[in-house]
Amino acid sequence: MKKLLIRLGNVDRRWIFLLIGLSVLIPLLKPKWIRIPIETTLNTQVVFDEISKLEENDKILISFAYGPSTKPEIHPMTIALFNQLFSKGVKVYIVSLWPDGVIMAKDAMMQILDSKVFNLEDGKHYVIFDYKVGGEIVIKNIASDFRGLYMQDINKISVANISMMEDIKSIEDFDFVFDLSAGVPGNAEWVQYACDSKKVPLSSGCTSIMVTDAIPYVESGQLKGILAGMPGAAEYENLVYDFMINQNDNKFILNYDKIYPGKATSRMSSQSLAHVLMVLLILFGNISYYLLRKRRN
Amino acid sequence: MSFNFEIIGAWLVVLMTLSIFSYLYGDNIFYKAAEHIFVGISAGYIFAITFWDQIHPNLLGRLFPSYIDAGYELELSYIIPFILGIFMILRLVPSLSWLARISIAYIVGMAAGLKFYVFINSNILIQIKSSAIDFNGSTFDVINQIIILIGVFSGLIYFFFSKEHKGTIGKISKLGIYFLMIKFGASFGFAVMGRISLLIGRFEELLTYSSSEFNYATPIVFVIMIIALGFWSFQDKKTSLNQDDSVNKITR
Repeated sequence: MKKLLIRLGNVDRRWIFLLIGLSVLIPLLKPKWIRIPIETTLNTQVVFDEISKLEENDKILISFAYGPSTKPEIHPMTIALFNQLFSKGVKVYIVSLWPDGVIMAKDAMMQILDSKVFNLEDGKHYVIFDYKVGGEIVIKNIASDFRGLYMQDINKISVANISMMEDIKSIEDFDFVFDLSAGVPGNAEWVQYACDSKKVPLSSGCTSIMVTDAIPYVESGQLKGILAGMPGAAEYENLVYDFMINQNDNKFILNYDKIYPGKATSRMSSQSLAHVLMVLLILFGNISYYLLRKRRN
Repeated sequence: MSFNFEIIGAWLVVLMTLSIFSYLYGDNIFYKAAEHIFVGISAGYIFAITFWDQIHPNLLGRLFPSYIDAGYELELSYIIPFILGIFMILRLVPSLSWLARISIAYIVGMAAGLKFYVFINSNILIQIKSSAIDFNGSTFDVINQIIILIGVFSGLIYFFFSKEHKGTIGKISKLGIYFLMIKFGASFGFAVMGRISLLIGRFEELLTYSSSEFNYATPIVFVIMIIALGFWSFQDKKTSLNQDDSVNKITR
């Protein structure tokens, strides 16, 4: 047994890559084999509750700061967030702080429009603005002078001709800010440069790697909950899905048959299995290392 | 002859993804090519988007409004950023490269000034306020806040180097190390989770593109790549064996 454990410690790393690959691939190919229940954590519930407080014609500013590389984690949050907002008749304003954020925003909006669940009109229910270079400088300008920064929307239509832009001058004219980010600028910059000083409620959906840095803001109430990586997305998707299918007379939802749970939920089996494997590998690796060191001594 | 750009895109996605994954087997030509293409395209894309979305409308649109219609009027104050930008480019001219220091000094000074207030407000004052214990909360909340307060205090003591870490200070700083280790462990766990999520995303796309709709892009590229890697690996072995033989002959 000892020999086997020591030999396991010296196994070629390529076998480990293969095992990790299989642990991700098998649940994707055979989703029925492994089903792990998803329980809502407090931070996700807070996000859902805060968004639920918004009412018809309230205004939300959504910041896109992620790209294709982090799409699997954040895009499901975006789709679920749009679903919750549009089913409440909230007006959505989209800005991009990453160059590929615009592509992500357009893709997410296209998915919502293609689903035909809502009857949405560009410029009336939502507006998308182009990417602006500058990161935190852009956030600071959004906080003080939104119109000075964004003169026209992504379709080159002047903001003066967009009806939902009538009362928007600075960040204080929004009822909520939601940050979808995978790095810098992200939720920390929104907290520091805009929402703390202007006292606008802010929430965030971010990649797993950002969560430990963002948690102090959540604990202090500077962030109203957080959607933490893929598990956060899966939990939020389930909450929004349950909310939407249980709405009997929602005037904003046109087609109940087209409501589906999102993609993050189906990905969680792969995530969980890969984590179990990682834990086992760390455990065996350490035991093997301990035995090897003992033998050498 | 018409091209289906969606299928071409799918094949490119599969080729690039599998080329990057091939590094897990070992460094090879597919990986090198994909790496260079990625870096080149990213740099070109950022350059183009920065020029057309930022410099062209916001700077040139304000300096030459009669030529560039970006919705702005003539603003002569924008000559200053225009000159600072030119100073940055002058870094490429050795005799005038010192001018770039002026632009860099402006950027650093402005960033420091901007960050100073917001950091003190959001990351120090509000964080200190929130680490105070609210005894009106539930027992669970009070215990949680006490743990956070102990963690903050002991963590700060660990980074306090004006006094030797012995006795009580040593014990508190050791406690701080445990809190830091828990933080690093959590960060590592979240980092692993993030990477696995990205892997899931790539695998999902590879599975989508393995269907007949995309002319079986994934299995075909995968097989071609394995054959090519196997062939090169065999060639490399043959070359190294020949080299070993010639070295042996010389040493004899």
